[in-house]
Amino acid sequence: MSNKRKIVKTVIFVLGAIFLLFLPFITKSQYQIHIVNMCGIYILLSLGLNIAMGYTGQFNLAMGPLWGIGGYTAGILNTKFGLPFWVNLPIAILLAGLVGAFVGLPSLKVRAHYLSIVTIGLGEMLNLILVNEEKLTGGVLGILGITAPKFLGIPIDSDGKYYYIILTFVVLGYLLARQIVANRVGRSFRAIRDDPLTAQAMGVNIGNYKILAFFISAAYAGAAGALYAHLNTYISPDIFDYRSTMFIMTMTMVGGIGSLSGSIIGGILLPILQEYLRAIQSWQLVGYGLIILLVVLFVPGGIIQIVQRKAPNHKITLHRRHKSTHAAKKSEENDVLGS
Amino acid sequence: MFLDLENLTMKFGGLTAVDKISINVKQGEIHGLIGPNGSGKTTIFNMLSGYYKPTSGKIMFEGKDMTGMPAYKITAAGFARTFQNLRLFKSMTVLDNLMVAMGHKATAKVYEVMINPIAARKEDDVFTEKAMKILELLDIRKFANNQATSLPYGHQRRVEIGRALASEPKILLLDEPAAGLNDVETEELSEILEKIHASGITIFLVEHHMKLVMKSCGMITVIDYGKKIAEGDCNCIQNDPVVIEAYLGKEEDLVSR
Repeated sequence: MSNKRKIVKTVIFVLGAIFLLFLPFITKSQYQIHIVNMCGIYILLSLGLNIAMGYTGQFNLAMGPLWGIGGYTAGILNTKFGLPFWVNLPIAILLAGLVGAFVGLPSLKVRAHYLSIVTIGLGEMLNLILVNEEKLTGGVLGILGITAPKFLGIPIDSDGKYYYIILTFVVLGYLLARQIVANRVGRSFRAIRDDPLTAQAMGVNIGNYKILAFFISAAYAGAAGALYAHLNTYISPDIFDYRSTMFIMTMTMVGGIGSLSGSIIGGILLPILQEYLRAIQSWQLVGYGLIILLVVLFVPGGIIQIVQRKAPNHKITLHRRHKSTHAAKKSEENDVLGS
Repeated sequence: MFLDLENLTMKFGGLTAVDKISINVKQGEIHGLIGPNGSGKTTIFNMLSGYYKPTSGKIMFEGKDMTGMPAYKITAAGFARTFQNLRLFKSMTVLDNLMVAMGHKATAKVYEVMINPIAARKEDDVFTEKAMKILELLDIRKFANNQATSLPYGHQRRVEIGRALASEPKILLLDEPAAGLNDVETEELSEILEKIHASGITIFLVEHHMKLVMKSCGMITVIDYGKKIAEGDCNCIQNDPVVIEAYLGKEEDLVSR
């Protein structure tokens, strides 16, 4: 990299950091900073889904309900046992991760669209548990009165203050995700996505890695859940269902499937778009469907593909298409001649 | 004994693809497996690498029973294979393709490389160095950071071999490595096989290219319709009437027409 580019990059980075640090002072209302906070939570969810779906090719379409597991874990621990945010968060991450690993078990037997159907089903079962276990979860009414976290004795009781907690976890979550996909684990994930049978022949224990991918994506959902519960101080089961899953999937695909930066772009863009589209709420699911369709057809790599001006190195395909390439033809010819 | 296939049988429904085949591959040898199309060569390879579970019979490797083990454990035991139709990881660079196969040899725990950037970097540095040596051996080092599937066909074949070598195998199963290569490339392949052989790795080779087989293999097994019909060195095989019959048909067939 040339020196000039390095300087430009550093300047952009510093300006960006200053912008993020002072964002609560720039926003005009409590409402706006609340949306910013929700963006942060959605970025975490999208990062999680991207690791499972974008990097490993495992359709974890129980993200919404798994988010709920995180939220309810924090909510119940807080209201029933009086535990603070900082204790609830790791427990929510772990519990959601374990439930996610369980949701991922079918991935050992079924693939692609079959797997997505199974995980949607399991997710809705989780959501029904949240609705029906009234004693524990408060049923359709949800849980009220979750307390705001404290940091060094200071209560984080406004969206402006909460923003810094969310910012911290988004940055940590992004760095962790980058670390995960950059080394042996990420390579094994991508190998499974590209060709599971070959990955196995290369010594990758694909069963373990698939479950690990589900665990990680659900753990991100768990963190997002605990953050959401303590931010809103009120949770109800209706937000943690398949509609949220579709929303998270839409933002991941719009941003760029298989790209962590894509998750950030999508996680910022879609929640803001959703606010503008409040008027047509009942049509939202149709909207997501349409957006996904358009993205798959015209920009399969998402916005990040346009930004980086390059073709995606893979596409999510449900049906493997066999193109008869030059190589394949050559090999066929030889098969005929060889005998 | 190194690798022993004992009465290996594979049935698909009513079809017996491989019928009670026993082959003994000696350590340090290049062992060829030839036969007409559909004779069961790739089926044998698929059983060896754990894709198929044999209907009956045993696969013994260094005295241990490997029959029906999952593929990744077989790789860990020292097997590595290439595929007849190239199966490189399409989203990855040449280097990454090789490094995937090194993962099972890593000593650091999975959670360690996930949360500790220093440990992960250290591991990747070791992997990269090893991979570069293999690419050097195969003469494709300069393509290390190219996307694997963007390379010319002959080079992709080498990446396949390189990826198999990257898992540090004791025995290399090559499924038609010369398929689709021209004469020059086949000649180069033969040299590569020689180098791999010289480094102490046993090679089990399925190939249609007779020149390559006759040149490289010390021992050759011929199968037809899932049955072993001959075994021996080149001379012995080339003059075996049963082998000639399998490949060219019987003399009477011609006469009777």
